[in-house]
Amino acid sequence: MTPPGPFRPRFWRSPLRGPWLTAALGSVLLVLVAVVAATGFLSHTAYQPDLPGNAIVDRGADLPLSFAWPAGFAYLYAVTQGLHVNVGLVAIPFLLAKLWSVIPRLFAWPPAASPAQGLERLSIALLVSSAVFEFVTGVMNMQYWYAFRFNFVVAHYYGAIVFVASLVLHVALKTPVILRAYRERGVLKPLRDDLARTRPEPDDEHGGLVAPSPADPTLSRRGLFAVVGAGSLALLLANAGETIGGPLRRLSPLAPRRQVIGPGPNDFQVNKTAEGAGVTPDMTGTGYRLALRRGGREVLLSRADLLAMDQHTARLPIACVEGWTTTQEWTGVRLADLARAAGAAAGASALVRSLQPRGVLGRASLNAGQLGHPDALLALKVNGADLSPDHGYPARIIVPGLPGVHNTKWVGAIEFA
Amino acid sequence: MRARYGASPLHLLAHLIVLPLVAFALLQIVERADAPRILIWLGLSAVVHDLVLLPFYGLLDRLEQRAAGRAVNYVRVPTLVSGLLLLVFFPAISGKGEGAFHGVSGLDYDGYLARWLLITAALFALSGAAYLLRGSRS
Repeated sequence: MTPPGPFRPRFWRSPLRGPWLTAALGSVLLVLVAVVAATGFLSHTAYQPDLPGNAIVDRGADLPLSFAWPAGFAYLYAVTQGLHVNVGLVAIPFLLAKLWSVIPRLFAWPPAASPAQGLERLSIALLVSSAVFEFVTGVMNMQYWYAFRFNFVVAHYYGAIVFVASLVLHVALKTPVILRAYRERGVLKPLRDDLARTRPEPDDEHGGLVAPSPADPTLSRRGLFAVVGAGSLALLLANAGETIGGPLRRLSPLAPRRQVIGPGPNDFQVNKTAEGAGVTPDMTGTGYRLALRRGGREVLLSRADLLAMDQHTARLPIACVEGWTTTQEWTGVRLADLARAAGAAAGASALVRSLQPRGVLGRASLNAGQLGHPDALLALKVNGADLSPDHGYPARIIVPGLPGVHNTKWVGAIEFA
Repeated sequence: MRARYGASPLHLLAHLIVLPLVAFALLQIVERADAPRILIWLGLSAVVHDLVLLPFYGLLDRLEQRAAGRAVNYVRVPTLVSGLLLLVFFPAISGKGEGAFHGVSGLDYDGYLARWLLITAALFALSGAAYLLRGSRS
Protein backbone atom coordinates (compact mmCIF):
# COMPACT_ATOMS: atom_id res chain seq x y z
CA MET A 1 0.00 0.00 0.00
CA THR A 2 1.24 3.52 -0.79
CA PRO A 3 2.25 5.48 2.33
CA PRO A 4 0.40 8.74 2.97
CA GLY A 5 1.50 12.34 2.39
CA PRO A 6 4.03 13.13 -0.36
CA PHE A 7 4.03 9.50 -1.51
CA ARG A 8 0.48 10.00 -2.85
CA PRO A 9 0.38 11.70 -6.27
CA ARG A 10 -2.55 13.90 -5.16
CA PHE A 11 -0.30 15.53 -2.54
CA TRP A 12 1.47 17.47 -5.34
CA ARG A 13 -0.76 20.21 -6.69
CA SER A 14 1.29 22.67 -8.75
CA PRO A 15 -0.33 23.02 -12.19
CA LEU A 16 3.02 24.01 -13.73
CA ARG A 17 4.95 20.77 -13.15
CA GLY A 18 5.28 18.51 -16.16
CA PRO A 19 7.80 17.11 -18.66
CA TRP A 20 7.97 20.33 -20.69
CA LEU A 21 8.70 22.53 -17.67
CA THR A 22 11.40 20.18 -16.39
CA ALA A 23 12.91 19.89 -19.89
CA ALA A 24 12.97 23.68 -20.32
CA LEU A 25 14.47 24.40 -16.88
CA GLY A 26 16.91 21.54 -17.39
CA SER A 27 18.01 22.83 -20.79
CA VAL A 28 18.90 26.26 -19.40
CA LEU A 29 20.62 24.67 -16.42
CA LEU A 30 22.60 22.34 -18.66
CA VAL A 31 24.09 25.23 -20.63
CA LEU A 32 25.04 27.08 -17.44
CA VAL A 33 26.47 23.99 -15.75
CA ALA A 34 28.49 23.13 -18.88
CA VAL A 35 30.22 26.53 -18.60
CA VAL A 36 30.81 26.10 -14.86
CA ALA A 37 32.17 22.56 -15.26
CA ALA A 38 34.42 23.40 -18.21
CA THR A 39 35.91 26.44 -16.47
CA GLY A 40 36.29 24.43 -13.27
CA PHE A 41 38.38 21.75 -14.94
CA LEU A 42 40.31 24.45 -16.83
CA SER A 43 41.11 26.07 -13.48
CA HIS A 44 42.43 22.73 -12.25
CA THR A 45 44.70 22.67 -15.31
CA ALA A 46 45.72 26.31 -14.81
CA TYR A 47 47.40 25.28 -11.56
CA GLN A 48 49.57 22.94 -13.68
CA PRO A 49 49.46 20.06 -11.23
CA ASP A 50 52.09 18.11 -13.18
CA LEU A 51 54.87 20.59 -12.32
CA PRO A 52 56.86 20.17 -9.06
CA GLY A 53 55.15 21.48 -5.93
CA ASN A 54 51.89 22.45 -7.66
CA ALA A 55 49.60 19.47 -7.14
CA ILE A 56 46.92 19.81 -4.47
CA VAL A 57 45.05 16.74 -5.67
CA ASP A 58 47.54 13.87 -5.40
CA ARG A 59 48.99 13.28 -8.92
CA GLY A 60 48.73 9.52 -8.62
CA ALA A 61 45.01 9.87 -7.95
CA ASP A 62 44.18 12.50 -10.57
CA LEU A 63 42.68 12.27 -14.05
CA PRO A 64 45.38 12.46 -16.75
CA LEU A 65 44.20 15.84 -18.05
CA SER A 66 46.66 18.69 -18.24
CA PHE A 67 48.41 20.93 -20.74
CA ALA A 68 50.86 23.81 -20.51
CA TRP A 69 48.78 26.80 -19.34
CA PRO A 70 49.56 29.66 -21.76
CA ALA A 71 50.67 33.19 -20.82
CA GLY A 72 49.60 34.78 -24.12
CA PHE A 73 46.35 36.32 -22.83
CA ALA A 74 46.80 38.20 -19.53
CA TYR A 75 43.12 37.89 -18.55
CA LEU A 76 42.85 34.16 -19.30
CA TYR A 77 42.49 33.09 -15.68
CA ALA A 78 40.40 36.15 -14.81
CA VAL A 79 37.92 35.17 -17.54
CA THR A 80 38.02 31.45 -16.70
CA GLN A 81 37.44 31.89 -13.00
CA GLY A 82 35.15 34.90 -13.37
CA LEU A 83 32.88 32.73 -15.52
CA HIS A 84 33.17 29.80 -13.12
CA VAL A 85 32.04 31.80 -10.10
CA ASN A 86 29.51 34.17 -11.68
CA VAL A 87 27.86 31.66 -14.03
CA GLY A 88 27.79 29.32 -11.04
CA LEU A 89 25.81 31.94 -9.10
CA VAL A 90 23.47 32.43 -12.08
CA ALA A 91 22.86 28.67 -12.20
CA ILE A 92 21.74 28.40 -8.56
CA PRO A 93 18.11 29.60 -9.04
CA PHE A 94 17.76 27.33 -12.09
CA LEU A 95 19.13 24.38 -10.11
CA LEU A 96 16.64 25.02 -7.30
CA ALA A 97 13.76 25.42 -9.78
CA LYS A 98 14.77 22.26 -11.64
CA LEU A 99 14.89 20.27 -8.39
CA TRP A 100 11.50 21.73 -7.37
CA SER A 101 10.03 20.67 -10.72
CA VAL A 102 10.93 17.00 -10.14
CA ILE A 103 10.45 16.71 -6.37
CA PRO A 104 7.36 14.42 -6.67
CA ARG A 105 9.68 11.82 -8.22
CA LEU A 106 11.63 11.58 -4.96
CA PHE A 107 8.53 10.08 -3.36
CA ALA A 108 7.65 7.69 -6.21
CA TRP A 109 6.09 4.51 -4.87
CA PRO A 110 7.18 1.73 -5.05
CA PRO A 111 10.76 3.10 -4.74
CA ALA A 112 11.97 0.89 -7.62
CA ALA A 113 9.68 -1.12 -9.85
CA SER A 114 12.57 -2.82 -11.66
CA PRO A 115 16.37 -3.21 -11.39
CA ALA A 116 16.71 -0.55 -14.10
CA GLN A 117 14.70 1.93 -12.10
CA GLY A 118 16.66 1.14 -8.95
CA LEU A 119 19.95 1.77 -10.74
CA GLU A 120 18.66 5.01 -12.22
CA ARG A 121 17.47 6.25 -8.83
CA LEU A 122 20.93 5.55 -7.43
CA SER A 123 22.51 7.64 -10.19
CA ILE A 124 19.95 10.42 -9.57
CA ALA A 125 20.82 10.38 -5.86
CA LEU A 126 24.50 10.78 -6.80
CA LEU A 127 23.61 13.58 -9.22
CA VAL A 128 21.51 15.60 -6.77
CA SER A 129 23.94 15.09 -3.87
CA SER A 130 26.99 16.07 -5.87
CA ALA A 131 25.21 19.03 -7.50
CA VAL A 132 24.12 20.52 -4.18
CA PHE A 133 27.53 19.69 -2.66
CA GLU A 134 29.42 21.46 -5.46
CA PHE A 135 27.35 24.63 -5.21
CA VAL A 136 27.36 24.71 -1.41
CA THR A 137 31.12 24.19 -1.10
CA GLY A 138 31.86 26.64 -3.94
CA VAL A 139 29.66 29.36 -2.44
CA MET A 140 31.16 28.85 1.03
CA ASN A 141 34.73 28.89 -0.29
CA MET A 142 34.26 32.16 -2.21
CA GLN A 143 33.25 33.73 1.13
CA TYR A 144 36.02 32.08 3.16
CA TRP A 145 33.63 30.11 5.40
CA TYR A 146 35.44 26.82 5.93
CA ALA A 147 32.93 25.28 8.33
CA PHE A 148 33.17 22.01 6.41
CA ARG A 149 36.72 21.49 7.75
CA PHE A 150 37.91 19.40 4.81
CA ASN A 151 40.28 20.25 1.98
CA PHE A 152 38.08 22.34 -0.32
CA VAL A 153 40.12 21.83 -3.50
CA VAL A 154 40.21 18.05 -3.21
CA ALA A 155 36.55 17.68 -2.21
CA HIS A 156 35.32 20.16 -4.85
CA TYR A 157 37.39 18.40 -7.52
CA TYR A 158 36.26 14.84 -6.84
CA GLY A 159 32.71 16.09 -6.21
CA ALA A 160 32.87 17.63 -9.70
CA ILE A 161 33.86 14.29 -11.23
CA VAL A 162 30.86 12.61 -9.54
CA PHE A 163 28.63 15.51 -10.66
CA VAL A 164 29.74 15.63 -14.29
CA ALA A 165 29.71 11.83 -14.70
CA SER A 166 26.21 11.42 -13.27
CA LEU A 167 25.00 14.47 -15.20
CA VAL A 168 26.21 13.08 -18.54
CA LEU A 169 24.41 9.83 -17.73
CA HIS A 170 21.24 11.69 -16.74
CA VAL A 171 21.18 13.81 -19.90
CA ALA A 172 21.81 10.74 -22.07
CA LEU A 173 18.96 8.83 -20.46
CA LYS A 174 16.54 11.77 -20.50
CA THR A 175 17.19 13.00 -24.05
CA PRO A 176 14.21 11.04 -25.47
CA VAL A 177 11.89 12.47 -22.78
CA ILE A 178 13.19 16.01 -23.40
CA LEU A 179 12.81 15.70 -27.18
CA ARG A 180 9.30 14.28 -26.82
CA ALA A 181 8.28 17.17 -24.55
CA TYR A 182 9.63 19.74 -27.04
CA ARG A 183 8.02 17.89 -29.98
CA GLU A 184 4.61 17.67 -28.35
CA ARG A 185 4.48 21.06 -26.61
CA GLY A 186 6.88 23.13 -28.72
CA VAL A 187 10.22 24.42 -27.46
CA LEU A 188 9.05 27.92 -26.53
CA LYS A 189 5.30 27.76 -27.18
CA PRO A 190 4.24 27.22 -23.54
CA LEU A 191 5.93 30.55 -22.72
CA ARG A 192 3.30 32.38 -24.80
CA ASP A 193 0.50 31.58 -22.37
CA ASP A 194 -0.40 34.29 -19.88
CA LEU A 195 -1.84 33.35 -16.51
CA ALA A 196 -5.41 33.09 -17.81
CA ARG A 197 -4.34 30.60 -20.46
CA THR A 198 -1.97 28.57 -18.29
CA ARG A 199 -3.20 24.94 -18.16
CA PRO A 200 -1.55 21.83 -16.71
CA GLU A 201 0.44 19.74 -19.18
CA PRO A 202 -1.39 16.62 -20.42
CA ASP A 203 -1.05 13.58 -18.17
CA ASP A 204 2.44 12.09 -18.58
CA GLU A 205 1.43 8.51 -17.64
CA HIS A 206 4.60 7.09 -16.08
CA GLY A 207 6.44 10.39 -15.72
CA GLY A 208 4.80 11.26 -12.41
CA LEU A 209 5.38 15.01 -12.83
CA VAL A 210 1.92 16.25 -13.86
CA ALA A 211 -0.37 16.72 -10.86
CA PRO A 212 -3.49 14.52 -11.05
CA SER A 213 -5.53 17.11 -9.13
CA PRO A 214 -3.85 20.45 -9.87
CA ALA A 215 -4.58 23.69 -8.01
CA ASP A 216 -5.49 26.85 -9.95
CA PRO A 217 -2.33 28.47 -11.33
CA THR A 218 -1.02 31.58 -9.56
CA LEU A 219 1.87 32.05 -12.00
CA SER A 220 2.27 31.43 -15.74
CA ARG A 221 5.18 29.37 -17.04
CA ARG A 222 6.83 32.48 -18.47
CA GLY A 223 6.21 34.10 -15.10
CA LEU A 224 8.12 31.26 -13.44
CA PHE A 225 11.03 31.72 -15.85
CA ALA A 226 10.96 35.47 -15.22
CA VAL A 227 11.10 34.99 -11.45
CA VAL A 228 13.92 32.43 -11.65
CA GLY A 229 15.77 34.71 -14.11
CA ALA A 230 15.30 37.67 -11.75
CA GLY A 231 16.89 35.60 -8.99
CA SER A 232 19.85 34.81 -11.23
CA LEU A 233 20.23 38.44 -12.24
CA ALA A 234 20.15 39.56 -8.60
CA LEU A 235 22.90 37.10 -7.64
CA LEU A 236 24.99 38.17 -10.64
CA LEU A 237 24.66 41.90 -9.90
CA ALA A 238 25.36 41.32 -6.21
CA ASN A 239 28.73 39.77 -7.02
CA ALA A 240 30.03 40.54 -10.53
CA GLY A 241 31.65 43.88 -9.61
CA GLU A 242 34.50 42.10 -7.82
CA THR A 243 35.27 40.18 -11.00
CA ILE A 244 35.27 43.17 -13.33
CA GLY A 245 36.98 45.45 -10.81
CA GLY A 246 37.59 49.17 -11.22
CA PRO A 247 34.69 51.47 -10.40
CA LEU A 248 32.19 48.58 -10.71
CA ARG A 249 33.65 46.83 -7.67
CA ARG A 250 31.74 48.92 -5.16
CA LEU A 251 28.47 48.54 -7.08
CA SER A 252 28.12 44.89 -6.12
CA PRO A 253 26.61 45.11 -2.65
CA LEU A 254 27.31 41.57 -1.42
CA ALA A 255 30.56 40.66 -3.22
CA PRO A 256 33.18 39.52 -0.68
CA ARG A 257 35.85 41.64 -2.42
CA ARG A 258 33.82 44.82 -2.94
CA GLN A 259 35.96 47.09 -0.73
CA VAL A 260 37.95 49.92 -2.28
CA ILE A 261 40.72 50.26 0.27
CA GLY A 262 42.17 53.65 -0.54
CA PRO A 263 43.85 55.81 -3.20
CA GLY A 264 47.45 54.71 -2.52
CA PRO A 265 49.58 52.65 -4.94
CA ASN A 266 49.34 49.57 -2.68
CA ASP A 267 45.66 50.00 -1.77
CA PHE A 268 44.17 47.05 -3.60
CA GLN A 269 42.83 43.67 -2.53
CA VAL A 270 45.22 41.32 -0.69
CA ASN A 271 44.97 37.55 -0.89
CA LYS A 272 47.38 36.65 1.89
CA THR A 273 48.57 39.22 4.43
CA ALA A 274 52.20 39.30 5.59
CA GLU A 275 50.96 38.81 9.13
CA GLY A 276 48.81 35.83 8.15
CA ALA A 277 51.72 34.24 6.29
CA GLY A 278 54.14 34.89 9.17
CA VAL A 279 56.44 37.16 7.14
CA THR A 280 58.32 39.59 9.42
CA PRO A 281 60.44 42.71 8.65
CA ASP A 282 63.71 41.00 9.62
CA MET A 283 63.11 38.41 6.86
CA THR A 284 62.67 41.11 4.22
CA GLY A 285 65.08 43.82 5.46
CA THR A 286 68.65 44.67 4.39
CA GLY A 287 69.74 41.05 4.91
CA TYR A 288 67.34 39.86 2.20
CA ARG A 289 68.89 37.90 -0.67
CA LEU A 290 67.10 36.26 -3.58
CA ALA A 291 68.63 32.87 -4.39
CA LEU A 292 68.67 31.77 -8.04
CA ARG A 293 69.53 28.09 -8.23
CA ARG A 294 70.33 25.75 -11.06
CA GLY A 295 71.91 22.36 -10.53
CA GLY A 296 74.41 22.88 -7.71
CA ARG A 297 75.00 26.58 -8.56
CA GLU A 298 73.52 29.44 -6.62
CA VAL A 299 73.46 33.18 -7.37
CA LEU A 300 72.49 35.53 -4.52
CA LEU A 301 70.99 38.94 -5.32
CA SER A 302 70.03 41.76 -2.93
CA ARG A 303 67.05 44.01 -3.66
CA ALA A 304 69.54 46.70 -4.79
CA ASP A 305 71.08 44.18 -7.24
CA LEU A 306 67.61 43.46 -8.61
CA LEU A 307 66.81 47.18 -8.95
CA ALA A 308 70.08 47.63 -10.87
CA MET A 309 68.97 45.13 -13.54
CA ASP A 310 66.80 46.05 -16.56
CA GLN A 311 63.37 47.09 -15.29
CA HIS A 312 60.21 46.35 -17.21
CA THR A 313 56.64 47.58 -16.54
CA ALA A 314 53.44 45.69 -17.35
CA ARG A 315 49.76 46.18 -16.53
CA LEU A 316 48.54 42.78 -15.33
CA PRO A 317 45.64 41.38 -13.33
CA ILE A 318 45.69 39.25 -10.23
CA ALA A 319 42.78 36.86 -10.67
CA CYS A 320 41.81 34.79 -7.67
CA VAL A 321 40.19 31.35 -7.61
CA GLU A 322 37.33 32.92 -5.62
CA GLY A 323 36.41 34.93 -8.71
CA TRP A 324 37.73 38.42 -7.94
CA THR A 325 40.21 40.34 -10.04
CA THR A 326 42.35 43.44 -9.60
CA THR A 327 44.55 44.95 -12.33
CA GLN A 328 47.68 46.96 -11.42
CA GLU A 329 50.84 48.30 -13.03
CA TRP A 330 53.84 46.22 -11.99
CA THR A 331 57.54 47.02 -12.42
CA GLY A 332 60.44 44.63 -11.96
CA VAL A 333 62.91 42.26 -13.56
CA ARG A 334 61.88 39.95 -16.38
CA LEU A 335 61.90 36.31 -15.26
CA ALA A 336 63.67 35.49 -18.53
CA ASP A 337 66.56 37.78 -17.46
CA LEU A 338 66.77 36.01 -14.10
CA ALA A 339 66.82 32.63 -15.85
CA ARG A 340 69.74 33.88 -17.96
CA ALA A 341 71.52 35.18 -14.84
CA ALA A 342 71.16 31.74 -13.28
CA GLY A 343 72.50 30.07 -16.41
CA ALA A 344 69.24 28.20 -17.09
CA ALA A 345 68.67 26.79 -20.57
CA ALA A 346 65.81 28.12 -22.70
CA GLY A 347 62.70 25.99 -22.19
CA ALA A 348 63.40 25.34 -18.51
CA SER A 349 60.64 25.47 -15.91
CA ALA A 350 61.17 26.92 -12.44
CA LEU A 351 60.01 26.33 -8.88
CA VAL A 352 59.47 29.59 -6.96
CA ARG A 353 59.72 29.46 -3.17
CA SER A 354 58.31 32.04 -0.81
CA LEU A 355 59.88 33.15 2.47
CA GLN A 356 56.50 32.65 4.13
CA PRO A 357 56.85 30.20 7.03
CA ARG A 358 53.13 29.36 7.12
CA GLY A 359 49.94 29.67 5.14
CA VAL A 360 48.84 27.97 1.93
CA LEU A 361 50.88 27.67 -1.24
CA GLY A 362 54.34 28.78 -0.17
CA ARG A 363 55.70 27.61 -3.52
CA ALA A 364 54.59 27.28 -7.14
CA SER A 365 56.16 26.08 -10.37
CA LEU A 366 55.99 28.05 -13.62
CA ASN A 367 56.22 26.48 -17.07
CA ALA A 368 58.71 27.45 -19.79
CA GLY A 369 56.17 29.53 -21.74
CA GLN A 370 55.33 31.57 -18.66
CA LEU A 371 59.00 32.14 -17.74
CA GLY A 372 59.78 33.28 -21.27
CA HIS A 373 56.89 35.73 -21.63
CA PRO A 374 58.16 39.35 -21.87
CA ASP A 375 55.58 40.52 -19.27
CA ALA A 376 56.40 37.79 -16.75
CA LEU A 377 58.13 39.63 -13.92
CA LEU A 378 59.70 39.41 -10.55
CA ALA A 379 57.95 42.62 -9.50
CA LEU A 380 59.67 45.03 -7.11
CA LYS A 381 57.22 47.91 -7.46
CA VAL A 382 53.53 48.42 -8.08
CA ASN A 383 52.00 51.60 -9.49
CA GLY A 384 55.41 53.27 -9.18
CA ALA A 385 55.88 52.58 -5.46
CA ASP A 386 57.74 49.85 -3.57
CA LEU A 387 55.58 46.80 -2.92
CA SER A 388 53.92 46.89 0.51
CA PRO A 389 54.59 43.98 2.89
CA ASP A 390 51.09 42.58 2.19
CA HIS A 391 51.71 42.64 -1.56
CA GLY A 392 54.96 40.71 -1.29
CA TYR A 393 57.86 43.10 -0.48
CA PRO A 394 60.72 42.77 -1.32
CA ALA A 395 59.79 40.88 -4.53
CA ARG A 396 56.88 38.93 -5.96
CA ILE A 397 56.02 37.01 -9.10
CA ILE A 398 53.50 38.42 -11.58
CA VAL A 399 52.78 36.38 -14.71
CA PRO A 400 50.06 36.95 -17.35
CA GLY A 401 47.10 34.57 -17.16
CA LEU A 402 48.31 32.80 -14.01
CA PRO A 403 45.97 31.84 -11.12
CA GLY A 404 46.39 34.63 -8.53
CA VAL A 405 47.86 32.57 -5.72
CA HIS A 406 50.61 31.20 -7.98
CA ASN A 407 52.01 34.74 -8.23
CA THR A 408 54.22 33.88 -5.26
CA LYS A 409 54.91 36.73 -2.81
CA TRP A 410 58.03 37.34 -0.65
CA VAL A 411 60.08 35.32 -3.14
CA GLY A 412 63.11 33.76 -1.43
CA ALA A 413 64.37 31.42 -4.14
CA ILE A 414 63.82 30.48 -7.76
CA GLU A 415 65.00 27.00 -8.70
CA PHE A 416 65.41 26.47 -12.45
CA ALA A 417 65.08 22.94 -13.80
CA MET B 1 16.45 -8.57 -20.89
CA ARG B 2 13.87 -5.79 -21.04
CA ALA B 3 11.35 -7.89 -19.09
CA ARG B 4 13.74 -8.80 -16.32
CA TYR B 5 15.88 -5.63 -16.15
CA GLY B 6 13.16 -3.12 -16.94
CA ALA B 7 14.96 -1.14 -19.69
CA SER B 8 17.11 -1.60 -22.79
CA PRO B 9 20.67 -2.99 -22.57
CA LEU B 10 21.92 0.50 -23.47
CA HIS B 11 20.44 1.78 -20.20
CA LEU B 12 22.49 -0.79 -18.27
CA LEU B 13 25.62 -0.11 -20.34
CA ALA B 14 25.39 3.64 -19.75
CA HIS B 15 25.27 3.03 -16.00
CA LEU B 16 28.19 0.62 -16.16
CA ILE B 17 30.30 3.26 -17.91
CA VAL B 18 29.50 6.01 -15.44
CA LEU B 19 29.21 4.28 -12.07
CA PRO B 20 32.84 3.01 -12.08
CA LEU B 21 34.00 6.58 -12.77
CA VAL B 22 31.95 7.74 -9.79
CA ALA B 23 33.41 4.91 -7.72
CA PHE B 24 36.92 6.06 -8.76
CA ALA B 25 36.25 9.58 -7.49
CA LEU B 26 34.71 8.37 -4.24
CA LEU B 27 37.59 5.93 -3.64
CA GLN B 28 40.11 8.78 -3.91
CA ILE B 29 38.19 10.54 -1.16
CA VAL B 30 37.94 7.45 1.05
CA GLU B 31 41.76 7.26 1.24
CA ARG B 32 41.96 10.68 2.90
CA ALA B 33 42.00 11.62 6.58
CA ASP B 34 39.14 14.11 6.06
CA ALA B 35 37.05 11.53 4.17
CA PRO B 36 34.29 11.10 6.79
CA ARG B 37 33.48 14.82 6.72
CA ILE B 38 33.51 15.00 2.90
CA LEU B 39 31.23 11.98 2.58
CA ILE B 40 28.85 13.22 5.29
CA TRP B 41 28.53 16.60 3.55
CA LEU B 42 28.07 14.87 0.20
CA GLY B 43 25.39 12.57 1.58
CA LEU B 44 23.58 15.24 3.58
CA SER B 45 23.53 17.74 0.68
CA ALA B 46 20.61 16.08 -1.09
CA VAL B 47 18.83 15.18 2.16
CA VAL B 48 18.97 18.73 3.52
CA HIS B 49 17.86 20.20 0.20
CA ASP B 50 15.03 17.74 -0.47
CA LEU B 51 13.69 17.32 3.06
CA VAL B 52 14.45 20.67 4.72
CA LEU B 53 15.04 23.55 2.29
CA LEU B 54 12.47 22.63 -0.35
CA PRO B 55 9.62 21.86 2.11
CA PHE B 56 10.49 25.07 3.96
CA TYR B 57 10.12 27.33 0.95
CA GLY B 58 7.08 25.37 -0.21
CA LEU B 59 5.45 26.09 3.14
CA LEU B 60 6.52 29.74 3.00
CA ASP B 61 4.96 30.06 -0.43
CA ARG B 62 1.72 28.50 0.78
CA LEU B 63 1.57 30.94 3.69
CA GLU B 64 2.10 33.84 1.30
CA GLN B 65 -0.67 32.58 -0.96
CA ARG B 66 -3.01 32.37 2.00
CA ALA B 67 -2.09 35.85 3.19
CA ALA B 68 -1.96 37.70 -0.13
CA GLY B 69 -4.50 35.76 -2.23
CA ARG B 70 -4.60 36.99 -5.82
CA ALA B 71 -1.80 39.49 -5.14
CA VAL B 72 0.56 36.69 -4.09
CA ASN B 73 3.18 37.42 -6.76
CA TYR B 74 3.77 40.89 -5.36
CA VAL B 75 4.92 39.21 -2.14
CA ARG B 76 6.37 36.08 -3.70
CA VAL B 77 8.87 37.70 -6.09
CA PRO B 78 10.64 40.01 -3.60
CA THR B 79 10.64 37.20 -1.03
CA LEU B 80 12.29 34.87 -3.50
CA VAL B 81 14.96 37.34 -4.64
CA SER B 82 15.75 38.47 -1.10
CA GLY B 83 15.75 34.87 0.13
CA LEU B 84 18.15 33.78 -2.62
CA LEU B 85 20.55 36.61 -1.76
CA LEU B 86 20.44 35.58 1.90
CA LEU B 87 20.92 31.91 1.09
CA VAL B 88 23.90 32.45 -1.21
CA PHE B 89 25.62 35.31 0.63
CA PHE B 90 24.85 33.95 4.10
CA PRO B 91 28.55 33.55 5.04
CA ALA B 92 29.21 37.26 4.40
CA ILE B 93 25.83 38.54 5.66
CA SER B 94 26.02 36.57 8.90
CA GLY B 95 29.76 37.21 9.26
CA LYS B 96 30.39 33.45 9.47
CA GLY B 97 33.36 33.61 7.11
CA GLU B 98 34.86 36.70 8.73
CA GLY B 99 37.67 35.01 10.68
CA ALA B 100 39.33 33.44 7.64
CA PHE B 101 38.41 36.43 5.45
CA HIS B 102 40.25 38.79 7.79
CA GLY B 103 43.21 36.39 7.91
CA VAL B 104 43.76 36.47 4.15
CA SER B 105 42.60 39.99 3.23
CA GLY B 106 43.05 42.10 6.36
CA LEU B 107 39.45 43.26 5.82
CA ASP B 108 36.12 42.62 7.58
CA TYR B 109 32.60 41.85 6.40
CA ASP B 110 31.27 45.27 7.42
CA GLY B 111 27.79 46.32 6.38
CA TYR B 112 26.73 43.16 4.54
CA LEU B 113 23.73 42.56 6.80
CA ALA B 114 22.74 46.23 6.55
CA ARG B 115 22.98 46.20 2.74
CA TRP B 116 20.98 42.98 2.49
CA LEU B 117 18.24 44.52 4.66
CA LEU B 118 18.21 47.67 2.51
CA ILE B 119 18.04 45.60 -0.68
CA THR B 120 15.14 43.62 0.81
CA ALA B 121 13.29 46.81 1.71
CA ALA B 122 13.90 48.19 -1.79
CA LEU B 123 12.62 44.99 -3.43
CA PHE B 124 9.37 45.09 -1.43
CA ALA B 125 9.05 48.83 -2.09
CA LEU B 126 9.38 48.23 -5.85
CA SER B 127 6.86 45.43 -5.64
CA GLY B 128 4.46 47.60 -3.65
CA ALA B 129 4.78 50.39 -6.22
CA ALA B 130 4.08 47.90 -9.02
CA TYR B 131 1.01 46.69 -7.13
CA LEU B 132 -0.32 50.23 -6.72
CA LEU B 133 0.32 51.09 -10.38
CA ARG B 134 -1.38 47.88 -11.53
CA GLY B 135 -4.32 48.65 -9.22
CA SER B 136 -4.78 52.20 -10.47
CA ARG B 137 -4.65 51.14 -14.14
CA SER B 138 -7.32 48.44 -13.92
